[in-house]
Amino acid sequence: MRVPLYFLAVSGGTLVQSTVVPVIAVGGVVPDVLVILVVLLGLRRGPEAGCLIGFALGLAQDVVAGGPLGLHALSKAVIGFVAGNLPHWFLVWKPGVAVVAVALATLADGALRFALLQLFHYPAPFGELLTGVILPQAGYNGLLAALVVAVPTVRARV
Amino acid sequence: MLELWLRYRKYSLLLLVVVAAFSLLTFQRARPGEGLWLAEGVAAVTAPIQMAFARVHRGAADLWTTYVDWKGLRADLARLRAEVTALRLRQLRQDELDAENGRLRSFLTLRERLPAGAIAAEVVAREWNGFTRGLTIDRGRADGVERLAPVIVTQGVVGRVAGLRRGSAVVQLLTDPASSIGAVVNRSRAQGLAEGVTGGKLRLKLAASEEGVWVGDRVFTSGISGLFPKGLPLGRVVRVFPPTGLFRLAELEPAVQLATVEEVLVLSRGVTADLSPAFPDT
Repeated sequence: MRVPLYFLAVSGGTLVQSTVVPVIAVGGVVPDVLVILVVLLGLRRGPEAGCLIGFALGLAQDVVAGGPLGLHALSKAVIGFVAGNLPHWFLVWKPGVAVVAVALATLADGALRFALLQLFHYPAPFGELLTGVILPQAGYNGLLAALVVAVPTVRARV
Repeated sequence: MLELWLRYRKYSLLLLVVVAAFSLLTFQRARPGEGLWLAEGVAAVTAPIQMAFARVHRGAADLWTTYVDWKGLRADLARLRAEVTALRLRQLRQDELDAENGRLRSFLTLRERLPAGAIAAEVVAREWNGFTRGLTIDRGRADGVERLAPVIVTQGVVGRVAGLRRGSAVVQLLTDPASSIGAVVNRSRAQGLAEGVTGGKLRLKLAASEEGVWVGDRVFTSGISGLFPKGLPLGRVVRVFPPTGLFRLAELEPAVQLATVEEVLVLSRGVTADLSPAFPDT
């Protein structure tokens, strides 16, 4: 029953990331909606689903983005796994947790990918990457996550 | 082993995924360019959908660009229209200044040709009803203008000063029904009177005994009455009527476009010299 949902999440998320997201870039900062998807699904479905979906989404993103295969797959699998474990570790579930988790996951995703890219002698310095790409993207992702989380919350209250 | 796997299932899964990803990365690092079959397989599925999205996106972007361009064009159009209006107004003012400059220049030339002093005046009002035809000028008694003084422009006679005030004067036009000026036909030297006719026309009245007048003949002041100097252009014959009794009549087209006169020269009275050399163009 969940497999079609995961398949839809992977294919739809990849397409949205590669087609719609570039349009909503602000000042060159492009959000990574796949991180949001992985974190939210991980929080909902647990570490195994988060890990597998993260791996599949990351692999698809690697294919679409044209970078080394396994780069996004590994980073997204790890953040999916960690996100899936958060409810067990903190024993809390509030909308704010998801927003903070998405922002932190974006930072972790960026840092992890940078570390993995060292295998391929990636030339850019981490400081530059952190201030110019990762931190702005974490902020944008946090905002989007807040929107995603706020809409069902407001609707439920109404 | 299976029991261990099931016991630590989620960590085992993570380990499996990490190993798979690392294997992929290591394989690509060791053999760059290989292992792209997976990428090609996924791309075969996703590429058409991506292209469709891109088309939709491009179409929306084109639509937006067209809208922005259209708005820009509208703004440009309004701005250009305002500019055109401003330029037309400026051009009209410029044309007006050019015309005035030309008139004043020709006035100056005429004034230099005239033997006696002439007073330049500007038309400030027009009396243009069917009974009387006159102009009010901005020079009067205080400026040395005399009653019955001839009023001319560069093309010829305008009329004479009929009313005099301190700072202004009323000029009776030569087409006023009460106006009568001694005239001579330039070609035949036939003498007569140029009279104003009701309706703003000018008529030449000759004695029947005088030699004939032809259409196209030019008519000048004769200087006989003593009010107008000799040789000022009055008009051109445009129509000749059959002789009736004692008189021979002809219709004249005034030498001056009286309706558009804006500046005039007021001559002194008592000038007897022939002024035709001052009007070489006529």
